[in-house]
Amino acid sequence: MVQKKNIFTPVSEKEVTRAIVDGFARQFIEYVESDCLIIGGGPSGLMVGRDIALKGVKTLIVERNNYIGGGFWIGGYLMNKVTVREPGQKILEELGIPYEKAVRGLYVADGPHACSKLIAAACDAGVKFANMTIFDDVVLREGNRVCGAVVNWTPVNALPREITCVDPIALEAKFVVDSTGHDACVVKKLEERGILKTVGFGAMWVEQSEDLVVEHTGEAHPGLIVTGMAVATTYGLPRMGPTFGAMLLSGRKGAQVLLQKMKKK
Amino acid sequence: MNDLIHPIPSAIDLYQEGVLGNLDITQIGEYLEEKICIPFRIRGNIYKGFSKKRIGEISKELARVKVKDPGKKFIEGTPFQAEIDYEERRIRDPYWKIFGILYEGAFYQEIISNLIFKGGVDFKRCVVFFTNQLFGTWDRDDQRYHARVSLYGFPCLISLPGLVEAPAKPKEFYLKKQMGTPVEWLKEEYQGRFLDHGDSRMTEVLKGYAIQALLFHVTGDPFCDDRDCRFFNSHWQEEVLHSQMNGKYEFCPKHEKILETIRDRSM
Repeated sequence: MVQKKNIFTPVSEKEVTRAIVDGFARQFIEYVESDCLIIGGGPSGLMVGRDIALKGVKTLIVERNNYIGGGFWIGGYLMNKVTVREPGQKILEELGIPYEKAVRGLYVADGPHACSKLIAAACDAGVKFANMTIFDDVVLREGNRVCGAVVNWTPVNALPREITCVDPIALEAKFVVDSTGHDACVVKKLEERGILKTVGFGAMWVEQSEDLVVEHTGEAHPGLIVTGMAVATTYGLPRMGPTFGAMLLSGRKGAQVLLQKMKKK
Repeated sequence: MNDLIHPIPSAIDLYQEGVLGNLDITQIGEYLEEKICIPFRIRGNIYKGFSKKRIGEISKELARVKVKDPGKKFIEGTPFQAEIDYEERRIRDPYWKIFGILYEGAFYQEIISNLIFKGGVDFKRCVVFFTNQLFGTWDRDDQRYHARVSLYGFPCLISLPGLVEAPAKPKEFYLKKQMGTPVEWLKEEYQGRFLDHGDSRMTEVLKGYAIQALLFHVTGDPFCDDRDCRFFNSHWQEEVLHSQMNGKYEFCPKHEKILETIRDRSM
């Protein structure tokens, strides 16, 4: 009787473990220092990462959740269709995301398709990720310039302090991008330290807030670029609804600002 | 009241900032001239002719008077450089279209007043300033800021986006919006029942607000209780359209008489 061949090559558990640890450690060591550290892996952070990585900028995205993509998987009311207003659909086209016209100037795409394509575009461009990693603090240098972030494992924050006395670690970068959405975690940390003052976002007003978010995207503090909804929180702009054009365009503008700054540096 | 408290102005100066879409300011000036026999002057972009340094100072002043939380009383803060840069880009570009920031109306008016009158108000000129930006004033009753179409004073401010955003749209519009119907769909469904950005009726409607500014200038009271009169203080879009375009008459008998007095004295 002929013995049936296994589908997969046999490997031992220890080899699997070694491969995981080795792969993670090599990447982590390499990215302890990067050109750009993006906090938040939502649409604006992914867009910044994708655009700058395409230009050869060494980029790490820190994401507190296991999954990357933030709110881009779903639109309003947990429905998995995402909308963008003109000219946001041009970025959808660029990323190869199918979409259709809803009404004049408004386009709708499938959330999972749009989000996974954006993540893939960032990965293809060379962006690396530290997911399940939570932002804890900023690294400051002369003149309070932001030069990195202190991070920890996300689960550490979810457990009682008595059983999770795990010190965080620091990552350094030439620039840090706050793409943490309404929370604006990095900006808020600077506020806690008395370095700057934010005001929170105003009432929801989709039509105008998208333009304003893109217009205000840029360097909020030396070394710190703010994109996406964190822009609204930082500058007290109206809150946005479930339309993602501004997230993509804000990410693109953040990337342009960052590339210009890096050129000057 | 409506007794004349200030002399009849010898001219009406019409200023503007930013792109005003299809608003025809000359037509508004001609309307005022026809109704009250006071000549008008188109003064154009308020920011023209200022030095780079002065533009920088104005930008800083404007960045300071943004209402960041409509639910709280305004506190003047220190603006970020990015906010000052935004204002500078805005006022340097006469074709600027973006709006959405709510400015504190009284402070905004003070900044504009200083640019026009340079410290001393000249009551011989009735100044009306049309803006493509949005301003609001604090409402003591419900303890929050509300966007406004106009703010009467010296100068009188009239906001185009305010005309779209401040008077309330039909109630059903908001109910459906709350239930998640996209605004674009609602605009189609309720087309004609409210003014939208770039609406062709803007010039006709704003003639009424401009003449309210003149009435304020000479009497201190720009409003009338009669919803058929162009001086009616509308809070709903449907009231705006009714009093400015579909009223029984243009002005109520009382205000027709006041305009007659102004005409007589201005000639």
